[in-house]
Amino acid sequence: MTTAQPAMLVEVEAVSKRFTPQLSLGDRLAALLGSPVETRTVHAVDRVSFGLEQGEVLGLVGESGCGKSTLGRVIAGIHPPSEGRASIAGETVMGDGRTPLKRTTRIQMVFQDPFASLDPRVRIGETISEGPLAHGLVSRTDAPAYVARWLTAVGLPVEAAERFPHQFSGGQRQRVAIARALAMQPDVLVCDEPVASLDVSIQAQIINLFLKLRRELGLTMLFISHDLGVVRHLCDRVAIMYLGRIVEIGPAAEIFAAPRHPYTRALLDSVPKLVTGSDELVTFKPIQGELPSPLSPPPGCHFHQRCPRAEARCRSDAPQLAGGTDEGTGHRVSCHFPLAGEA
Amino acid sequence: MSPVLLDVNGLTTRFATRAGSLNAVEDVSFTVAEGEIVGLVGESGSGKSVTGFSILGLIDPPGRIVAGSVKLNGRELVGLSHAALRSMRGREIAMVFQDPSATLNPVLTIETQMRLAIAAHESLGDAAARARCIEVLGAVGIPDAARRIEAYPHQFSGGMRQRVAIAIALLNRPKLIICDEPTTALDVSIQAQILTEMKSLAARLGTAMIWISHDLATVSSVASRILVMYAGRLIEAGPIAEVLRQPRHPYTRGLLGSLPGIARPGQDLVQIPGAMPSLIDLPQGCAFQPRCGFADAQCATMPALSAEGARSFRCHHPLAAETAP
Ligand SMILES: Nc1ncnc2c1ncn2[C@@H]1O[C@H](COP(=O)(O)OP(=O)(O)OP(=O)(O)O)[C@@H](O)[C@H]1O
Ligand SMILES: Nc1ncnc2c1ncn2[C@@H]1O[C@H](COP(=O)(O)OP(=O)(O)OP(=O)(O)O)[C@@H](O)[C@H]1O
Ligand code: SF4
Ligand SMILES: [Mg+2]
Ligand SMILES: [Mg+2]
Repeated sequence: MTTAQPAMLVEVEAVSKRFTPQLSLGDRLAALLGSPVETRTVHAVDRVSFGLEQGEVLGLVGESGCGKSTLGRVIAGIHPPSEGRASIAGETVMGDGRTPLKRTTRIQMVFQDPFASLDPRVRIGETISEGPLAHGLVSRTDAPAYVARWLTAVGLPVEAAERFPHQFSGGQRQRVAIARALAMQPDVLVCDEPVASLDVSIQAQIINLFLKLRRELGLTMLFISHDLGVVRHLCDRVAIMYLGRIVEIGPAAEIFAAPRHPYTRALLDSVPKLVTGSDELVTFKPIQGELPSPLSPPPGCHFHQRCPRAEARCRSDAPQLAGGTDEGTGHRVSCHFPLAGEA
Repeated sequence: MSPVLLDVNGLTTRFATRAGSLNAVEDVSFTVAEGEIVGLVGESGSGKSVTGFSILGLIDPPGRIVAGSVKLNGRELVGLSHAALRSMRGREIAMVFQDPSATLNPVLTIETQMRLAIAAHESLGDAAARARCIEVLGAVGIPDAARRIEAYPHQFSGGMRQRVAIAIALLNRPKLIICDEPTTALDVSIQAQILTEMKSLAARLGTAMIWISHDLATVSSVASRILVMYAGRLIEAGPIAEVLRQPRHPYTRGLLGSLPGIARPGQDLVQIPGAMPSLIDLPQGCAFQPRCGFADAQCATMPALSAEGARSFRCHHPLAAETAP
């Protein structure tokens, strides 16, 4: 990341994250006896670098297991990186000492499952005010008004503060989770599949809420999703991840109209489209084969086994994320033989 | 038009719960022609799965089919004995679930499970049974089926396990397969592979399908007709391209407006206010009334399902045929 770009609010520099299983004695015995106990290291995130500008929404897209949540968690300071650094306004999100500690409240995270992420025994008002009180963002006397302000911001009635999570529907719980994150007054919100578990009609309500919050608060967001339609609707830029690496990043409109990485192209072609003409032929072009295991990622380009454009070089050299023909837009692609980029 | 294979009429399935009794499916009527793929869509809890289970006779207490009929090739299935239903399931109608582990037994090899499924309905010699299994696995896109048939389910990826579940559904060459969100849990690239294969298999074998999903785009890419459910009732049905182009029910139009991808990026989506009501505590009349922008006093009575050509809808104030979303 030495290119002269506008100063970024969030910098992610060569972040890698590996998980090495901590085996219990029982696991080790089972492994010895030939049971399928996993002992290998997972390379969940592999030297990822990018930046987030103040006020922008970056979508992070990719298939299950490609490392989206792990990367989001490293950026939000929930996991320490194995290597590299994530920082916000120059300040490292998480120290990398022996006991890594999250150092900042300026990044908050919203999770997929609004059912699991709220404590059923705690009233909504307390859930929202707990963090701000602990960090001195609000005094105990001002807490009720503070809670009311954030409930209103996410479109919930002020009385909701007195109720418990089970009294709310899925969409309302997700609003509570968003209010809880916003009440910490973060500069950056990392949202991990925040609408994935919601029905379409409720999903539309939450997407509209994000659009409104963006307009009103100028939030900077990393929006993780496997739903390309949602990302296209909400995000300024998109990063496409494949097996731990970012393979393409750039303006959303440009990537959706003219992807340059063969994987991005294939992913876009896999998405069923709404067919409304009786004579429209539905032609998917499914990607061949399956995602390789992150336990033993293939050498060279991670996509080469499934790629229609692969040549010998792709099997040995890992391509770098590089600027394409149009450096001005920051569109970068990691491929030896990128597509021309025409729609 | 092919002859009618399945005729569901006035189907009503009720569950007794501690909070009261609810009709998960109420007065649902539709037909499926031979070889036809029909999509069944609706929000979570609208009664899609219960409709599928009811057709298969898989409703157990506290649930019960309290009214209506389900006819397969003219033969009534409601009220059949357990034994008769068991011999029908798999052979005449099969079902594929969202989670393949509902079908697959983790302690048996794929081959054993497939041969048990054949043996339930037919006695085939060893070699013939094995050959049938390998053929069907190949048909659903499992490479190297002759070798992989000896594997256990955990040795397959999620997408491969779902293919095996589909293969088992195909084994006895049923006339109808009910697919309950079979690709929802899978990645788009795997989903696209399976959708393509299912569609061409159905065409080749003349198998009819009911494809249950909450995803309109997926349904529109496989089905030729669509059924939309809301709060246990069928509220709109018709040829899929027509329904999506010109929905007649306000709820269907709302669903389409909710989809990102139709609106311009960054614009607010058309949203339906509120959420689906609890089935135990339904509003008077049309269940969509509290969320509907067209509702008036008349909507406090239940609208009938009215038909116009191949289309039908349950609404007092259907959208004009030319209003596009
Ligand atoms: N705590 C952990 N311990 C061990 N392995 C992990 C852990 N968290 C994630 N992984 C592994 O890291 C890889 C990336 O996982 P991650 O959850 O980041 O993927 P994802 O892109 O978010 O997938 P999904 O779309 O399914 O949420 C996977 O192989 C996963 O099994
Ligand atoms: N065994 C049961 N006991 C009580 N109620 C039930 C039972 N099974 C289903 N229901 C209720 O019936 C209604 C319809 O459920 P169903 O599973 O058919 O919905 P669905 O449309 O398939 O939803 P989803 O998209 O979430 O799968 C729900 O309100 C559900 O709570
Ligand atoms: S019947 Fe009335 S409330 Fe129901 S959808 Fe039609 S207009 Fe809306
Ligand atoms: Mg994830
Ligand atoms: Mg269901």
